[in-house]
Amino acid sequence: MALDPASSAATLSRFRKIGIIGIPPLGVIRAANEHGLVIHDLDEPLVREDLETASPYLPRVYCAILRTAVVNALHLELDAIYADTGPGKCDCALHTATILAEALPIPVICTKNMDSTGYGTPLCQTRQPLLARMLAITAGVKSAAPYDTPPPVSLPTAGFWGVPPRDFSILELFPETTHIFGWARCMENKTPADHELEALFNPQIPTVFFAQSFCAKTALARYLAKKHPHALYLDVDVHTTSSARAKVQAFLELSGVRL
Amino acid sequence: MILGDFGTSYCKFLDLDTPGAKPTIIATKELPRETRVDLATGHNGKRFADRYVNELIALARGGEALIEEEEYVLLDCGSRDIKFIKYANGKLADMGWNAECGASMGFTIELLERYYELDYAHLRVPEQTFSVTCGVLGMSDIFDAVISGVPVAEAVARFVKGIAINAYRFAGSPTKLYLSGGLCDNPLFVGSFPCQVTPLGRFVLLRGLEAETRQPRPPAIA
Repeated sequence: MALDPASSAATLSRFRKIGIIGIPPLGVIRAANEHGLVIHDLDEPLVREDLETASPYLPRVYCAILRTAVVNALHLELDAIYADTGPGKCDCALHTATILAEALPIPVICTKNMDSTGYGTPLCQTRQPLLARMLAITAGVKSAAPYDTPPPVSLPTAGFWGVPPRDFSILELFPETTHIFGWARCMENKTPADHELEALFNPQIPTVFFAQSFCAKTALARYLAKKHPHALYLDVDVHTTSSARAKVQAFLELSGVRL
Repeated sequence: MILGDFGTSYCKFLDLDTPGAKPTIIATKELPRETRVDLATGHNGKRFADRYVNELIALARGGEALIEEEEYVLLDCGSRDIKFIKYANGKLADMGWNAECGASMGFTIELLERYYELDYAHLRVPEQTFSVTCGVLGMSDIFDAVISGVPVAEAVARFVKGIAINAYRFAGSPTKLYLSGGLCDNPLFVGSFPCQVTPLGRFVLLRGLEAETRQPRPPAIA
């Protein structure tokens, strides 16, 4: 089911618990907040179920985040799912929404987030553990409230470009002075379809260009890594492998980044 | 101080406290369980030392110690995986570690030599090659070729060449590369690369550990 933003928001009053895939428009999130709805971000691992339970619906070789979304959708008791399938997400999400709409007895509503008003990217540029900042950014998609007083901007020593990974443990390898770029920065800015912001990087700092394996963004990550003078391209599937960890550790250490 | 490179098939050791000591080597399956070293690298290394250096860092430090050029590619072909370090202007420019699609290539090469009772020193580099991306999957090509009438030695040589070409592409298809690992002693493998190859032997990671001992360490956390 595809609805315009106004209709998407209007139908929300009928629900109590919704799941989101990608970042639906702020109008939807704002209305959900106003009605006091519980929002589950289905892109994150939320249930203790084997990822294989998604296999009847999606190929095994597929984006681990969308496979996770399917597992969540199958096991959480939701009243509806809002899946963003616009330029701020991907075709894979569109196909996943189509499959879920047939598999589940609840409405699966496709949205097209074209929000262009920036909320700012303070967490991407401040000094805090990278993992904690990424958790805060991903949690932020469930709220339409403006940010409080922004924390101070830090002097960056490393960069992480990409989407929030399915396995956050890779973020523990980075120093607190890592700046965040890519779609994660678009998430914090609440402009997920801002491709110009997504392509932004800092050529002065060693940067890891990360993408989920089998995601369309692997092409952009590798392309930008080749343009960056000091970059590591990295794609990871479900879990961070020991070789992926070693690559990040070696890249940062051999680049002279202090941890 | 004893250094250890704990590989999948072989473990290499160097005692820095014995002047002029040469590295020693032992098959991993024969390694005593109580073995302890001061500084370790390699797939199995964490179990045998308090301090561990990951293999890419050990490889890079070994390259810095052994190669005087500012620009080079150093490729390590192990039993289980392949990895490379590329330096430009004396600084790290690229790296890769293929533990999945490069799985078991070195291990398979050694296995085939024993199984078919071949001697790689006496096999010539073949004209043809198989498109090999994985040691396990590549074995099917050997069996198919043998069934179609290709001599076993020729089929295995094509497989080895396919592995060398795959590793070469993984390292970015350089015009010249430095080679690390036990396969440096395999003339068929070394000769199968479509570029200039300088073998550095199987102790590059040990040399990297030796260099690592001279790196300043961060203060211990109280």
